[in-house]
Amino acid sequence: MSRSARIRLFWATAVVFAAVYTLACTGLPHFGTAVHPYGTRAVATSLRQRTANVVSSVNFDQRALDTLGEESILFASVLGTLVLLRRARDERVGPPQAGRVLPSTRLLGLVMVPITLLTGVYIVAHGQLSPGGGFQGGVILATGLHMAYVAADYRVLKRIRPLAVLDLADALGAGAFVALGFAGLIAGGAYLQNVLPLGTFGQLSSGGLVPLLNAAVGVEVGSGIIVLLASFLDQAVEVRPARNSGSGGGT
Amino acid sequence: MVPTTDLLPLAIAVPLLGAVVLVVVGRWLPRPAIDALVTVWAVLEVGCLAWLWLRTGDGHSVSWLGGWSPVRGESVGIVLVGDRIGVGLALLTGALVLAVVVYSWRYFDEPPEAHAGTFPALILLFEAGMVGFALTGDLFDAFVFFELMGAVAYALTGYRIEDPRPVQGALVFGVVNSLGAYCSLLGIGLVYARTGELGLAQIGVQLARHRPDVLLSAAFVLIVTGLLVKAAVVPLHFWLPDAHSVAPTPVCMLLSGVMVELGVYGTARVYWVVFSGPHGITHAHLRAVFVAAGVLTALVGAVMCWQQRHLKRLLAFSTVGHVGLFLAGTALLTPAATAGTALYVAAHAGVKAALFATTGVLLDRYGSVDEHGLYRRGRDLPFVGALFAVGGLGLAGLPPFGTALGKAVAEHAGEDEFPWLPAVFVLVSALTGGAVLRAATRIFAGAGPRPRDQYAGTETTGGGEEPEIRDPQRRVPVPMLVVPAVLLAAALAVGLLPGLGAALAHAARQFTDRTAYTTAAIHGHTVAPSTPVPDVGWSAEGVLLALASTVLAVLLAMAAVWGPALRSPAVGRATAVCDGVGRRVIVPLRRLHSGHLGDYVAWLAVGMAVLLVVMAV
Repeated sequence: MSRSARIRLFWATAVVFAAVYTLACTGLPHFGTAVHPYGTRAVATSLRQRTANVVSSVNFDQRALDTLGEESILFASVLGTLVLLRRARDERVGPPQAGRVLPSTRLLGLVMVPITLLTGVYIVAHGQLSPGGGFQGGVILATGLHMAYVAADYRVLKRIRPLAVLDLADALGAGAFVALGFAGLIAGGAYLQNVLPLGTFGQLSSGGLVPLLNAAVGVEVGSGIIVLLASFLDQAVEVRPARNSGSGGGT
Repeated sequence: MVPTTDLLPLAIAVPLLGAVVLVVVGRWLPRPAIDALVTVWAVLEVGCLAWLWLRTGDGHSVSWLGGWSPVRGESVGIVLVGDRIGVGLALLTGALVLAVVVYSWRYFDEPPEAHAGTFPALILLFEAGMVGFALTGDLFDAFVFFELMGAVAYALTGYRIEDPRPVQGALVFGVVNSLGAYCSLLGIGLVYARTGELGLAQIGVQLARHRPDVLLSAAFVLIVTGLLVKAAVVPLHFWLPDAHSVAPTPVCMLLSGVMVELGVYGTARVYWVVFSGPHGITHAHLRAVFVAAGVLTALVGAVMCWQQRHLKRLLAFSTVGHVGLFLAGTALLTPAATAGTALYVAAHAGVKAALFATTGVLLDRYGSVDEHGLYRRGRDLPFVGALFAVGGLGLAGLPPFGTALGKAVAEHAGEDEFPWLPAVFVLVSALTGGAVLRAATRIFAGAGPRPRDQYAGTETTGGGEEPEIRDPQRRVPVPMLVVPAVLLAAALAVGLLPGLGAALAHAARQFTDRTAYTTAAIHGHTVAPSTPVPDVGWSAEGVLLALASTVLAVLLAMAAVWGPALRSPAVGRATAVCDGVGRRVIVPLRRLHSGHLGDYVAWLAVGMAVLLVVMAV
């Protein structure tokens, strides 16, 4: 197909889609109605489960299987990236270059790395109480470490980034979520059942299984993102391609 | 003793845990230990699913995760619902994964440095995604597992990074499937906004209280768009041949054998449970549209399959053809057609996986999957040739293969409504089986004149492939021969074991009964389906049609192999007619499969827009 034919075809279908989708949206409940069947139930349940952050209650207690699936997607994506970005036979590696950084930037980095890491731990640990949790806190943890790249250079990041350990931590975090699900079965309940003592509403120890699952996800996301970015950064910083490649596809 | 309700989440948790264990211990264990470990894990999963199959019987196994069983019909949790169609597909997945794991024992020589357990771990994650998708009774949860199998499949497709083709194939696969998934998410958003529910059964109950309108049909089309992309329904199919022809052979066995079929399963499940109720989408409307889509897919797949000389691409297009038949079969919406399709899917998985497995042997030996380039070169592999030819006959539907039985039952179920449907089934299986037989005759028997070798315009040759293993001098590893033989035997057994047919007949009756599913999922009661159990035995008519497609396949293969050697005016005229048809119909069709991602996205939009319009009117 020629470029113009392709674009014309796409716009024609986009108009059809826009028309039908707009018409479909007129059938939605009106803005500001009082009936929210799932919302009402989920909020009431999270109060009963003494989990102040309703989103965490939905993610790690009421619909924990979805989150198990999602963290497995992340785990699989990290593995997939490791596979796809592994060093090919025809790739050469050069040492990363030393970067020139202003002393003030370096100082700011030195101060901000521990603060950011602490914030990450806080967000993971308070997932049952306030907005945040394992996914959000884990990303902050991973970002914090990469400040070393911004404030210094790639060699410093490589030194403070124990990839072999993080790789293991990624897998163990994913495994911990699956394994914690068995607690319910062992206690005579269902898989992923929140069988731990629920604690006092609003306390750090509340929510039963929720903080533990949050911690598992926090470890997995934090280390997973670092491993993921390491694969990409290695490609960008260290690997020098040796030969040109053709293109795929066919008829 | 594990209760049945706990087997459902276990079937998902076991492979997930296995993947973690393999990644962790994979860095210290030697290769044979990793292979042994993943095999044990795959056996464990098959055992778990087989047990679930036995315990589920003719009813439903229902498990509310986290103990969130409904109170007064309402729950905040996720439900897994296994009936014998869903559990059967999960079991088929488990069996194929076991076959793939054994086949790969001596396969890849180059696992990623320090991550030797990664490939088997990805296979187990793929299994978890497919099993979860087959067993879930929750629309959003189905989407999550759908994404899990997608994410793993993209990575597995691009596994051989030295060659740019797999990377391109994986990219096309990833982009097109992700766009389909966004459509599904939009559709889920629409039904959630209207009903406030995410469970399939609960959404179905709530939707039945509204009058049918554009929202209903648009939500249905959007949700199934993602599934139909996965099922490679024309014109959403373009990613499939590009991905399946370049993925590592063991991965192809899973992609073609069961992942694509799960798209059809998901479409049928969503329709039956969510949209088929009162005020829903009528049977007649769905049947008309989806039988048409299935037939179009089947014909395009079969014609394109016949045109290929790249063996993996040929097999990929034959998957498109057969999936079209599966879609048409399930869209007939009768228990008999569903049972026939289920049998067909089970047997097709064995045959197609066996064919990919034997193609993997050729790739291993000769570094090529080009039918023309491999001419006569397979003569020192008679056993492989026999397996390949038997696979071709199985694909064409030779009785008593399960493919023939499933096809016959589906044809019989459809011929009252659509008298021409058996002809489509015969033609598609003859063309796809014939293409395989043609390749087998040329490669392994060296029959006929040498086919032209030059590059002829719009063609993918399949030469110059990277062998997937490094040592072409060694003998063919035993697992690479045993696995396809066992798979073909299993496809034969599907046709010969009367117990399996009877079980699937009951299963199909359950599958097509919305009330039985809804009552089991929400209230935990068992309701006997109202429809009679369909008859799925061999019939004289079915055997004759199956023989007809086999004979036609053999004749087509003979004409292609020996036809060019004949010198008579009649043959010349026939060739001229074929060339004319080819120029007007087939060359444009082939040009549509351009390998250009933008084209594929445009066709995805066209397919969705057409479905939106025809389902809304």
